[in-house]
Amino acid sequence: CCCPMAAFKDWTTALLQKKGALFGTAYLIRILLVFYGVYQDKVMVVKYTDVDYHVFTDASRFVTQGSSPYKRATYRYTPLLAWILTPNVYVAAVFGKLLFVTCDVLSALLLHELLRLRGLGSAAACRYCALWLLNPLPVGVSSRGNAESLLAVLVVATLYLLERGRLSRAALCYGLAVHMKIYPATYAIPIALALRRRPAPTLLSGLLSRDLLVFAAVAGGTFCGLGLVFYHMYGWDFVEHTYLYHVTRRDIRHNFSAYFYMLYLTAESRASLALGLAAFLPQLALLLLTALAFHPDLAFCCFLHTAVFVSFNKVCTSQYFLWYLCLLPLVLPCLTLSLKQGLGLLGLWFVGQALWLAPAYYLEFEGDNTFVLIWLAGLLFLVINSFILVQIISHYKPEITQQKVKSH
Amino acid sequence: VYAMRIVYLIAFILAPALLKADLQSGEERCGFTREWLESLTVSRELRKNGFHRELVTSVCCGLGSPKNLHFLLVERLPKGIYIDPYQLTSEQHDTGLQVLLDTEIDVEAPAYVSSAFPALVYPTRDPASPVCLKAVVPIHGRYHRPSDSGKRTAPIDIENPHLLLRADSCESSGDLPPNFIPYTLTDAPCTALNHSMCRWLQIHSAQEPGPLRLEIPVGDMRLVGLVSAATLLVTLLSCGYLAGAVWRNEFLQSRPPVSQGT
Repeated sequence: CCCPMAAFKDWTTALLQKKGALFGTAYLIRILLVFYGVYQDKVMVVKYTDVDYHVFTDASRFVTQGSSPYKRATYRYTPLLAWILTPNVYVAAVFGKLLFVTCDVLSALLLHELLRLRGLGSAAACRYCALWLLNPLPVGVSSRGNAESLLAVLVVATLYLLERGRLSRAALCYGLAVHMKIYPATYAIPIALALRRRPAPTLLSGLLSRDLLVFAAVAGGTFCGLGLVFYHMYGWDFVEHTYLYHVTRRDIRHNFSAYFYMLYLTAESRASLALGLAAFLPQLALLLLTALAFHPDLAFCCFLHTAVFVSFNKVCTSQYFLWYLCLLPLVLPCLTLSLKQGLGLLGLWFVGQALWLAPAYYLEFEGDNTFVLIWLAGLLFLVINSFILVQIISHYKPEITQQKVKSH
Repeated sequence: VYAMRIVYLIAFILAPALLKADLQSGEERCGFTREWLESLTVSRELRKNGFHRELVTSVCCGLGSPKNLHFLLVERLPKGIYIDPYQLTSEQHDTGLQVLLDTEIDVEAPAYVSSAFPALVYPTRDPASPVCLKAVVPIHGRYHRPSDSGKRTAPIDIENPHLLLRADSCESSGDLPPNFIPYTLTDAPCTALNHSMCRWLQIHSAQEPGPLRLEIPVGDMRLVGLVSAATLLVTLLSCGYLAGAVWRNEFLQSRPPVSQGT
């Protein structure tokens, strides 16, 4: 009778250790990189720290002086971020980076808990979290001082709390997430559909459920409350730089978006507005369709939403990829793709980026006219992204989670 | 800022007109002999390629230079390029670059909605060459209007700067020689810190290099129809392809949510 107990105990300890070891290692790597960054910035011409990090710190300095963070040109974020980062000015310049890497690890911890809730064993959950924890992209982005991990933690926390049925807390996180960046606003559709009353005579009357009203009131209250406070403090600048800039952004400079060259060539044309709308429609249609189809599985639905939003957006840079990568560990356990197929798709994704990066490098740093190549690479990248998403959609089988639970 | 602009106005427009002067009598006190002034050379080059360049200006003087010489390059940079003020701050920290900008700069705007802007560049001692002062200013090309005629690049010309100099040994204007055509006196900030104004001697160097030219790639407007049609076609097809997959795999609708708990 002792043997199974002892074996179970060893097994649990090993698993716990594994989780501790994984998260500990991931955190240590990030902290070491943060301090390595301080060193590289001091001695090398090529800086480790992201340009945006200096923007945040400068904005925080204005805030500590009782001034507006928008005095710092190109500060296009909520004043809340500048407020959160005031220890950058008062305590140490690395404070923000330490906060970002902590959020990075914290979002993995939430992913782990969410995967456990969805029926995975801890070891299996660890394996999927490792894709985020040991992924060089989020490691690099957060240790270089980019604030994306704050969003990741808020988005994953929203999903986690919704899964646990903690509606008000989930709504608080969601309201905060949308306040900080607008892209999670699209999640409102699948969340509303998931929280609607069923059975209901019509879709619309189903939307008048108690759950949804509570969620909408708390999330809306958080978003509007913060908005009003900052509008009162910083006026129109706040609305302009935090939201309108991102919505109306017409950056004609080269980026991953398939629309880049078209928008550059038509920037001054009268058709510009119509083309902008034509570019917006496929994005909107797909967001609505995926919400309708997949809202019962919110994690999967939010992943698809973000991936579609980013792939079909008029502006797309590599930091946008993090928005959906942080949800990938939630999707992977339910994919019936073989390891080989999975690696193949991953390789394809990197090839798509490399094919874009090469002509973009020659344009930007060598002065070669590679606009047509960049445009074609942007189109190909969209096709590759669509192909990968179609593979993910057609190989997504939620039941698989149950089988994996049994196998552990 | 407005006070500053007025000071510039006086400095660059009125002062030279009022102070046009001949040098000779005071040359012993300041050490600016005509021969020495004529020995000054200005050389310019653009380093790196593409959108991110370095504008390198060297001012070299012959032997017998007065002590504690300061130079100032008054640049007027074209609308096709910009200087990133925040990059300047970091360069100042790293390399000691001294540049004073008095205009607000939109680092994201294309050339056709931007305008030319002045920059005061204070070259510093070049460790590689003891008789020269050098400034390496990072500049960036702006996006330009696409070309209707199939030109692959748009040219940007950077004009020569005005070269100003002063020596600590002749601070007050009275010390500077009153009459020395073709040199003129002018007021400008003493250093890039912009704390105080100094009187500078404007030099018209004999060996002025021609304007520097850089070429920035531009889009091809003749392709606009093709690019728009193909882009919309590919995005619509991708959208349809994805929508089809979503439609075929809409398996979750009819099943209970996956949330199982443990």
